[in-house]
Amino acid sequence: MSNNKNVIETRGLKKTYEDGGVPVEAVRGIDFTLTKGEFTAIIGPSGSGKTTFLNLMAGLDSPTDGEVELSGNLISKMSGKELSNYRRDHIGFIFQAYNLFPVLTVEENVEYIMLLQGIHKKERHERVMQILEQVELENFAHRLPSKLSGGQQQRVAVARAMVSRPALVIADEPTANLDSKTSGDLLDMMKKLNEETGMTFLFSTHDEIVMKRARKVVTIRDGLLFKSEEEK
Amino acid sequence: MGLISKLAWRNIFRQKRRTILTVLTMTGGFVLSSLSIGWMDGSYSGMILFFTNHQTGQVQVHKDGYLDNPSIYDTIDNYNSVGERISNQDNVRSWAPRIYVGALLASRDPGVSDGIYSNSAAAAVIGIDPVMEENATAFSEQIIEGEMLTVSEADSSLRATGQILLGKQLAVMLNASVGDSLVLFSQAADGSGADRKYAVRGIVSTGSNEVDRTTCYLTLADTQLLFALENRVHEIAVMTTSLREVDKVAAEISLATDSLGLSTASWKVFAKEFYAGMKADETQLKIMLAIIIGVAALGVLNTILMMVLERRREFGVMKAIGTKPKSIVRMIVLEANVMGLVSVLLGGVLSTIGLLILSKHGMILDPPLDYGGFVFREMVASITPACYWIPSLSVMITSSVVSLIPALKAAHTDAAKSLRTV
Repeated sequence: MSNNKNVIETRGLKKTYEDGGVPVEAVRGIDFTLTKGEFTAIIGPSGSGKTTFLNLMAGLDSPTDGEVELSGNLISKMSGKELSNYRRDHIGFIFQAYNLFPVLTVEENVEYIMLLQGIHKKERHERVMQILEQVELENFAHRLPSKLSGGQQQRVAVARAMVSRPALVIADEPTANLDSKTSGDLLDMMKKLNEETGMTFLFSTHDEIVMKRARKVVTIRDGLLFKSEEEK
Repeated sequence: MGLISKLAWRNIFRQKRRTILTVLTMTGGFVLSSLSIGWMDGSYSGMILFFTNHQTGQVQVHKDGYLDNPSIYDTIDNYNSVGERISNQDNVRSWAPRIYVGALLASRDPGVSDGIYSNSAAAAVIGIDPVMEENATAFSEQIIEGEMLTVSEADSSLRATGQILLGKQLAVMLNASVGDSLVLFSQAADGSGADRKYAVRGIVSTGSNEVDRTTCYLTLADTQLLFALENRVHEIAVMTTSLREVDKVAAEISLATDSLGLSTASWKVFAKEFYAGMKADETQLKIMLAIIIGVAALGVLNTILMMVLERRREFGVMKAIGTKPKSIVRMIVLEANVMGLVSVLLGGVLSTIGLLILSKHGMILDPPLDYGGFVFREMVASITPACYWIPSLSVMITSSVVSLIPALKAAHTDAAKSLRTV
């Protein structure tokens, strides 16, 4: 049974892929809990199962065995439509390659999820402008992503992930395409937002800049939770 | 504008060159289809009008069974009262009575006034009322030499006019010219001999070599007198106000004259070979249109498949952040539909220009086209609603159907897998 403070909890989570007919155990039974307001990094070498683990928690992939529970909902039992709604309403995504919609302006990219949620125009605008202010992009609202630097684009991605106030923001290698200064600035900003909003962040990373700023670092190796470094 | 519509609209401008190419492919399909339909419609309308206006009429009324087995005895009696019934129907423009009989014509060589009648030819004799025929079919326009028959006084005085018109080739066969005399031999409906001397008043060219080789024309009254067919005719040819009304008019006339033992047929029935040929050509046109649309569809399919492949990662993101698959399908189909709509508008403008040119100037056929015995020297296009609605519908349906497969593929993008692709 999950604790009320737990945002997400996995129990005996397993994922086995078929790769050229050979079964590959990417995640081999992970028990993991993330409580509200955490700022946690998952580290591990390439192929250790980090991304697969994040995808399972995000409902992008379905587990071979085990359970994922988010805010009391068992997502491993959800239908495709329920998962789609679950991701829309409870998970914010930040991707390594930003993945903004190139034909939408900064403002439109950020409000996209709220449009899917059916939030009223006035509220959408207010929330977009508020979050753009927090990521210091209020003057770039009408620009297209192609007119922004990589760091600015990732800040838009952060704003998009947070604007719908999800229970969990999942960031897969968010600094991989950024230089170290931009990475540091971005992480500082995200940490500040985490402190201000109490939103829960979970990163997968190789980047020491991320690791240094994370309050908890979890190591995955060969599909198993190897080590959990306590809060700094 | 909704979110999906906004995305669809802006996505169209992402790869401008490709979008232009796709639009041009569909526009090309539209224009070719439109021109083909206009050309075909125009050609057939022209042909139908030509041979119905100048000869057959658009609806014909006969004694039951006459059309299948013509006989001098199968007549419409009191044809004037039948004609009145016909002219009371809606959309009837005019009518003309006719008599059809067979005869042998004989002529003398020119300049030999007292010589023997050495030239002879079998001919179909058509008895026409000069005034009514003129109202109905503008028959006199086909007279290339001489003059139209004059109104016979035979009805009142039982005196024949003694005038005859010869088909162009028949005149050549008989070596006869305007002003020459010839003799017509036949048998009247009462069994008596029917022969009389006639003066050639004119030469007729109907556009049908077969008709011009075998046909001569007398006034209706002369024919009735000669063949003992007083107040009787074999056919009433009816002209309608519009070709589109032909079937309706035929049905109404049939209803009005059925009790008299008469049968009514539209040109589709009495010229069934021509009609069958036209239908066969229509099938060919449909196959050609299907090929044109198919080629355009393949081009569009290729473009949209490439687009889906290129945007696979984007679809993964859309799905990851909660976009429903049906919204992705809607977006891609909408993109194709917008391109289709632009093609329809552009195609509509270009087709109109092309159709206007083809309808005004037409195409001179050299050598002339012999179709169903009629010779056509020029063909023109016509601008009909079908020139627009058929290509429009084809383009819109094609863009929807063709985009559906790539759209479904995009909607079923595995978000986790596509996000791993850099």
